[in-house]
Amino acid sequence: MQTPEPQQRDRSSTATTDPGADGSGGLAETPTPVEVRVHADPALIPSVRAVAADLAARADFDLDAVSDLRMAVDEACSALVPLARNGGQLRCGFAVADGRIDVICRVPVADQATLRQDTFGWRVLTTLTDDAEVLDADPEWLGIHLRKQRLAP
Amino acid sequence: MSEPAAAPPSGDAATKPAVTGSSRGEDSYDHLVPMLTEHAGLPADDPRREVLRDRLVQGYLPLARHIARRFAQRGEPQEDLEQVATVGLIHAVDRFSPERGSDFLSYAVPTITGEVRRYFRDKAWSTRVPRRLKDLRLAIGSAMPHLSQELNRAPTAGELAEHLQRTREEVLEALEAANAYRSSSLDDMLVDDPSSGRLADVLGSADAELEQVEHRETVQPALRKLPERERTIVMLRFFGGMTQTQIAERVGVSQMHVSRLLTRTLATLRADLSDPPTP
Repeated sequence: MQTPEPQQRDRSSTATTDPGADGSGGLAETPTPVEVRVHADPALIPSVRAVAADLAARADFDLDAVSDLRMAVDEACSALVPLARNGGQLRCGFAVADGRIDVICRVPVADQATLRQDTFGWRVLTTLTDDAEVLDADPEWLGIHLRKQRLAP
Repeated sequence: MSEPAAAPPSGDAATKPAVTGSSRGEDSYDHLVPMLTEHAGLPADDPRREVLRDRLVQGYLPLARHIARRFAQRGEPQEDLEQVATVGLIHAVDRFSPERGSDFLSYAVPTITGEVRRYFRDKAWSTRVPRRLKDLRLAIGSAMPHLSQELNRAPTAGELAEHLQRTREEVLEALEAANAYRSSSLDDMLVDDPSSGRLADVLGSADAELEQVEHRETVQPALRKLPERERTIVMLRFFGGMTQTQIAERVGVSQMHVSRLLTRTLATLRADLSDPPTP
């Protein structure tokens, strides 16, 4: 796992990967160069995944990788949205740097909800990305961190 | 007044022979031919023209439906296609002139088919997309296999731009636009020609070892419910470790098409898995 970097100003710096642990606003306020906040509503997920795809295409990811990332963000958001507290916000942060893109999607949850990793959905996430991780250190928020490399390692 | 003329004729006489069935030869339209000649011979402002036109359109309606059915399974609602085909039929009735020699069917079929094709070209996009982007999307579609082969992976937006001698910005825009087109069915024609094979026809069966993997997974009931073709693509991607480009090559469709199919199938699976049957 990567070292958390709470003070992120530089667009090219890397994303914090264990945001719940830094104690400065928790997972909810994870700083990233790009963040999309929408109501936790399945109808808004296509807009979020379009942002992910656009960022990856602009960063010159090949079109397989762009499409994989779009599907992965779709899957991650679709897994999180049903767990969101009523009226909660889906927040997705994106950081493009060093030939990879990091995505942190999270929703506010009640009673320490978590995500099972023995599901088909999780298999989809791990197949489509180079790294997928549940972020459940923050009791109020539950998230998924995805990482996609520009070139398959 | 047109009252007495308008009420009865639109119904029985014109529709009786043609509407009752769908699989009949051209003979069933024979009784309409004199009406066509009469319709074409009337001046544009003659009130009888309107009545004849209605009866002709209703009489030939099975033809329009038949043509609309040829374009079924391409992701457009059947009612919409029939409506578009009917518009084509109305054009055909309006423009047909018997003195030019050809009979009505050989004039109407291409007219109706053309109308439906135009619909697919111009209107079957869920959002409005400028023409130049549609053209560029087609150019990208044909450049993809070539570049993928050369690079041994899917190209990037930058590589496509260079290859097509367009700006990267244009390519990015067109790729975004491509996602607005909801072409989605595995029953889609491989190319834009109704006589070509369907994707389903060229898909092989799943490898035996993939079946093995499937049995170890909890998703098998949901996977089994998918049409075999869609299941194959999901298996190849998520259990066979193939990239979209490799699947596209194996299956003989574009990478963009594989991408759309996967997205749609995942949504289906998700819906199915989030509501599992009690064991």
